[in-house]
Amino acid sequence: MRQIKHDLDSMKNEGQENVPMEERRQFLKMGLAITGIFAGGTIFSAMSVMDKVFASTDEFTAQYPYKPHYGMILFQNRCIDCERCVAACVETNDVPHYGYRTRILMKEMPDAVGLKREFIPVFCNHCNIPQCTRVCPTKATYKDQANGIVMIDINKCIGCLTCQEACPYNARYFNEEKHAVDKCNFCFDTRLSKGEKLTGCAAACPATCRVFGDLSDKGSDLFKAVHQLERPVWVLRPEAGTKPNVFYTKDTSPVAFK
Amino acid sequence: MKKMCAIIAAATAIAVPAMAAENHGGNVVYTKPVKSVHFSHKVHVEEKELSCDLCHARNFEMQALKAQENDDFTMKSLVEGKYCGTCHNGIMAFASNTRCAACHSGVKGTGLSQGSDSANVRIALN
Repeated sequence: MRQIKHDLDSMKNEGQENVPMEERRQFLKMGLAITGIFAGGTIFSAMSVMDKVFASTDEFTAQYPYKPHYGMILFQNRCIDCERCVAACVETNDVPHYGYRTRILMKEMPDAVGLKREFIPVFCNHCNIPQCTRVCPTKATYKDQANGIVMIDINKCIGCLTCQEACPYNARYFNEEKHAVDKCNFCFDTRLSKGEKLTGCAAACPATCRVFGDLSDKGSDLFKAVHQLERPVWVLRPEAGTKPNVFYTKDTSPVAFK
Repeated sequence: MKKMCAIIAAATAIAVPAMAAENHGGNVVYTKPVKSVHFSHKVHVEEKELSCDLCHARNFEMQALKAQENDDFTMKSLVEGKYCGTCHNGIMAFASNTRCAACHSGVKGTGLSQGSDSANVRIALN
């Protein structure tokens, strides 16, 4: 292989704007981990951590310090579209017939091997980087810093519907009676603030498809389900960059019926 | 005129039971305890070629939706080997605690009427 000689003095600075993003990222990722200690004469040892991937819950909770940090995980294979969750939500939160706080989508794949259909519950993901709160002109919608729920103050909502446009999950609808946009709020005003532990939908599901809980509680079923390496867990539309708090998974073994 | 009526009546008398036999009982859409679970006779009788006795001797009455009148018509019973679970145990057919949406057509599937054989049913049962 021919050696390419570089004469550093004659090389021109290409300018920061011409350095590709990927190169910049790689450079910044070049981190070091301290693997030893400094003790009277012994120098700490540092190890390159360039290709390691970290998942630290402490970093996460530092950036999103909600307590409780409400979220939900859906065991998608268990959903049977009985829509008892939808009925419970409508009943609990006075959802009008033309609107919805939660929907069940159906996916059919005729070419699939074995099972050819599945149901997917969808609702507000209570994102950590919500697109709706970004675009609201009156700050009617906001992420509650106490519990992570994306709330709507109906007194401030002017019905411009920009949030509805912005939401990647189509979670919002305009409620004529309230004269404001409405969406899932994890039944905060109707259940959680009144001492209930579960949202209406989670309580109504006969198949234990919806597991509601507190992500900041390491003992909660939600935390445990989201943090199992052997369990594939995903979110909807990760490319939107919204960091949802609603997760999806499937059972890795046959369902147990009590 | 009377002869014509007699011939038509006779022909219908023969044709209707023949049609019913071909139908094998059609689609049965259970709505209790949850909406809804569909059962296709066509798939079980024509495709899988199962005899009537296999189910109707002991497990199911030959009357649509009779089973859902029982209080124990639950998934737990199926896993214990009752009703559909007699065969859907992972050995004769897929286990009833897998492939939930294969039979559970949900609220969206409640439109399936007896006798119809819509595309939804075809896709679901496999």
